[in-house]
Amino acid sequence: MAELESRLVNCFAVVFPELTPQEIPSVSMGSLASWDSVAGITLLSVIEEEFNLSISPDDVAGLVSFELILDYVRRVASGARA
Amino acid sequence: MTMKLAEALTMVQATPPHAPPLEIALLCGFTPLHLETFLRAQLCRLFPGRFPRVQIGLYGDLLGNLERVANVAAAIVVIEWSDLDPRLGLRRLGGWEPSRMPDILNEVRRSCDLLQQCMAAVAQNIPLIACFPTLPLPPVSFTPAARASEFTLELRSRVASLGAAVSHDPAVRIVDPQRLNALSPAQRLDVNADLSTGFPYTLAHASVLAELLAGLVQNPLPKKGLITDLDDTLWRGILGEVGVEGISWDLDHHSQIHGLYQQLLRSLAASGTLIAVASKNERALVQQAFAGRDFIVRESDVFPFEVHWDAKSESVARILSTWNISADDVVFVDDSPMDLAEVKAAHPGVECLRFPRENPQAAYELLERLRDLFGKERITSEDSLRAASLRSNATLQHGVNQSSAGASEEFLRHIGGKLTFSRQKQPLDSRAFELVSKTNQFNLNGRRFQETEWQEWLKAKDTVMIAASYQDKYGPLGKIAVIAGDLSNSDSSGKRKLRVRTWVMSCRAFSRLIEYECLQWLFSKLDVEEIEFDFLPTARNAPIQTFLQRVRGAPAEPGCRLLRSQFMETCPALHHAVEELPNG
Repeated sequence: MAELESRLVNCFAVVFPELTPQEIPSVSMGSLASWDSVAGITLLSVIEEEFNLSISPDDVAGLVSFELILDYVRRVASGARA
Repeated sequence: MTMKLAEALTMVQATPPHAPPLEIALLCGFTPLHLETFLRAQLCRLFPGRFPRVQIGLYGDLLGNLERVANVAAAIVVIEWSDLDPRLGLRRLGGWEPSRMPDILNEVRRSCDLLQQCMAAVAQNIPLIACFPTLPLPPVSFTPAARASEFTLELRSRVASLGAAVSHDPAVRIVDPQRLNALSPAQRLDVNADLSTGFPYTLAHASVLAELLAGLVQNPLPKKGLITDLDDTLWRGILGEVGVEGISWDLDHHSQIHGLYQQLLRSLAASGTLIAVASKNERALVQQAFAGRDFIVRESDVFPFEVHWDAKSESVARILSTWNISADDVVFVDDSPMDLAEVKAAHPGVECLRFPRENPQAAYELLERLRDLFGKERITSEDSLRAASLRSNATLQHGVNQSSAGASEEFLRHIGGKLTFSRQKQPLDSRAFELVSKTNQFNLNGRRFQETEWQEWLKAKDTVMIAASYQDKYGPLGKIAVIAGDLSNSDSSGKRKLRVRTWVMSCRAFSRLIEYECLQWLFSKLDVEEIEFDFLPTARNAPIQTFLQRVRGAPAEPGCRLLRSQFMETCPALHHAVEELPNG
């Protein structure tokens, strides 16, 4: 699971290069000005590509922080219904 | 081939933001989103040292985006079905019932007409890269999926007509659907992304499409020469073992792939590619084969033949010297991995490709690769002259070398050299641009231009461009020299001065005193008293350095000058017939 978190940090780092790896786990849409709609779509596309998953449109609205996305990816990776 | 989105983002972020910008317009009716990211990444890859900036237009307004494009080096237009009629997209609900089909066809026809006009207008000023619908049509038609309907065939026919119409314009470059189909995945439409964000492509499709689009922006110049082996390459069999009648290239002998290879070489030769042979063989036997068998590639297509038992790398060295071109411009094809490795070690710039004689499928892929490496936008009159002029140049060099020092002038006097100058500033003179882009040896400074930069410069009022074509009794060489610079008054006396910023001359035109004739023409016809040269030494422009030193009596240096009086003292007797094209 630590490996999964590390891969997710890398996804965030690619989309938000201004963040340090230490800052990423606490980041959210509300706290990061550069996390606009385009960056959000790009982030989710990078995550889909990295974890080979398809994020349902119904789930997109709730994926607004690193923590929530990590939880989502963990649930999908463990086979649970997201 | 496919790049990941994370890789693309990383590449874009790694580009120094203060590098010279490369402005490109990406025009489409959908949200370009990841296509833009992939395109920037591919431009970063193909234009190192530049900072690509991709301008995008407004969502849903492809025609308006085309009309508004400005201040870019090139424009890319990506057309999808929804741009031709929004009812052919997923984000509008205009109706798919059969009664609407005639109106959809009419709307598509109207959109195609408008697009043709807009694309032609853009292509007047900048290169325009175009891609026609890459996505599947939505299920509008009432026929089963496996059955093509009149409606869908009509739609595709109209788009094909648009492509054919705009393809006549030399500034328009169209993505080849066959190439795209070979590289892009079957799953191209991302319904989820289209409905939620307006971006209709899967990442894999966007990645491939961006690579093809960026490649057409770069528009690399083709390789110039192909050196081929003979045994088990140009034909099947070892000539020395099976004899002239034992070699084959046909279906009956299961050697058709060699015939296809010959057919390609014939086509390349007819398109201006230089073809040479490097073979370890008995020369007399090879001559016997070419005399006695009916090859598809003709003996006259090949020059020179290097047939002996020396190392292939030595043959390649002699061929490069005869052609007088760089190893980087040459492809070597041989069935022997050892010979390929030996040539590669001696000439790292040469692209060495194995002819896989045992595997027709792989050999066919080699043919496709060769077509790509030698692919060119169009065939010019110079292309058909190139091989013949190389042969005549070898004859001329032989004549010059045979003459004593004092007899060279006499020799040149009798070859009937004729120079034709033109000073029309034709921004789309592709031959002039090719000379400026590819000439290395007689090149004033090695400066290369972006196509748009060249066109913009030529449009300036004080810019002059002179192109020279040449022929003598050995045949025409075509357009062989280009000089471009700025005319100005040099001082209060009003005497005119020319600052030459680019001067290139094909190596095929060496040893004919054409460079002197060019300067004489500049002094007399442009009525200038002084010429300033934007000279810069390069690793390969020794010929022009030597010439400038000779004519000035001093080493060439940046900004060096030549007065008319100085030139008249050093210019040898010239015997060319000189003319200027009308309207020049």
